[in-house]
Amino acid sequence: MPKEKPDVKNLSDNLKKLSEITEWFENQEEVDIEEGLKKVKEAAGLIKASKERLKAVENEFEEIKKEADIEEDNGAKEESKGEEEETPDRAAL
Amino acid sequence: MKLREIVEEENQQKDEKIFSVSDYIKIVNQGLKDFRARIIGEVSEVSFGPTGHVYFSLKDEKDKSIINCIIWKSRYDIYGIELKEGLKIIAAGYPEVYPFSGRMSFISEVIEHAGEGTLKKEYEKLKEKLTREGLFEEVRKRAIPKYPQKVGIITSKQGAVLADFLNNLGRFGFKIKMIDSRVEGQAAIADLLLSIKTLKKENIEVLVIMRGGGSLESMLAFNNELLVREITGFPVPVIAAIGHHKDVPLTALAADRSVSTPSIAATVLSESWEQAASLLKEYERSVVDSYENILENANSLINQSVDTIRGIKDLIFDKYKEIETALKISFQAFKNALQNSKSNLKNSWRKSIFGFSSLLSIIKQQLEHSEEIVYLRNPETQLKLGYSIARCEGRLIRSVRDTKIGEDVDIRVADGTIISKVKNIHPVK
Repeated sequence: MPKEKPDVKNLSDNLKKLSEITEWFENQEEVDIEEGLKKVKEAAGLIKASKERLKAVENEFEEIKKEADIEEDNGAKEESKGEEEETPDRAAL
Repeated sequence: MKLREIVEEENQQKDEKIFSVSDYIKIVNQGLKDFRARIIGEVSEVSFGPTGHVYFSLKDEKDKSIINCIIWKSRYDIYGIELKEGLKIIAAGYPEVYPFSGRMSFISEVIEHAGEGTLKKEYEKLKEKLTREGLFEEVRKRAIPKYPQKVGIITSKQGAVLADFLNNLGRFGFKIKMIDSRVEGQAAIADLLLSIKTLKKENIEVLVIMRGGGSLESMLAFNNELLVREITGFPVPVIAAIGHHKDVPLTALAADRSVSTPSIAATVLSESWEQAASLLKEYERSVVDSYENILENANSLINQSVDTIRGIKDLIFDKYKEIETALKISFQAFKNALQNSKSNLKNSWRKSIFGFSSLLSIIKQQLEHSEEIVYLRNPETQLKLGYSIARCEGRLIRSVRDTKIGEDVDIRVADGTIISKVKNIHPVK
């Protein structure tokens, strides 16, 4: 039976698992070196995956932020344009 | 040419011409016409011919002299005098020799009663008769038309009657057809009847018969029965302006309107025109007044309208300004709302960004923390630092009491396990 690979893509789950691991370490009075090593390996994998995921999320977030900033800028430009166009209407009135 | 002149001429020519009886009678009769006269006498030997002509004699009251007389039917019928024995009449005419008998007769063109008493009597008699017939009744009388223009006049050109009438007629565009007629005595009857007959055919609206005042005798024609009947039967209303002293002429009684003078007759014709002129002035005044009122009202209405329009205009402009202000306020409110929405959106976005960034940061910290903890707690890390883990019979040795001298102790180091034996134990003081 193949070993079940943890879904490292879910950042929240990763963090949760990491939290459990750290908690495990903190609560461990007697060091089980083998178990500790296993936990360390798992934590290292989770940290790596999480970092990658975090980086991807950050990149995605930056992209979204950039797009949003562009839309915002355009909106501001449109607004100022609209204000300029309003002038002849007022004059016409 | 008169007989005497002819004879004298003949004599002058010393040509003693012989006339035939017929020619001679013709010449004589021509001459006899110069002996036209009015003869008074008493009627006798009255006989009516088959053609209706009347043959009679007039006898002198004093010496009983007699003259044969003839009155043609056409004339006899006019005068309304019934010739009978003993009637005293005046006959007007001329003598004439009748060629077939050689008898001379007085051709009576006019006959009339002689003597005021008789005339009066005849007048009353005829008046009574015609009254009984209803010819003088008021109900029969026709109104004189208003604004007449075509007027027929029968009167004599002689005398002041016509001038009096015309002077008082007024200038209202009358079109007058005037017939000059004899109006004096019995002889006028034929003329008057003929005039009436002529005017009957004319297009007139009213007929005026006029003559000045006079005695009963001079008024004889106007008391003629035929004339009275012609008047009452005339197609248009008749005005009689016949002057008289006492007895009203029967023609005047029969007329639709009887006045005493020609000037009054003229006034009757003019009065409706006068009234019209007066009415016209009134109408003109009324029209002008009405028009002025209308103008005044229209002016007032226009002023009111102008005021109303001004009011409406102000109202419209005020309303427009109100709407404009309301619109501006609405636009501003909308703009503000839009701005607020944008701002809120921006804030929300910023908050989201900040929140998410924070979250990422927290996650990062968590990861770092986890990494740190994992690193620090990693047994290998400790072992690499030189620490080792000693176990005795599988138990972790944390104290000197956890082992005994001579027991085997497994020491785990970074790269392997050292199997050792406890030689001595030195507790830390």
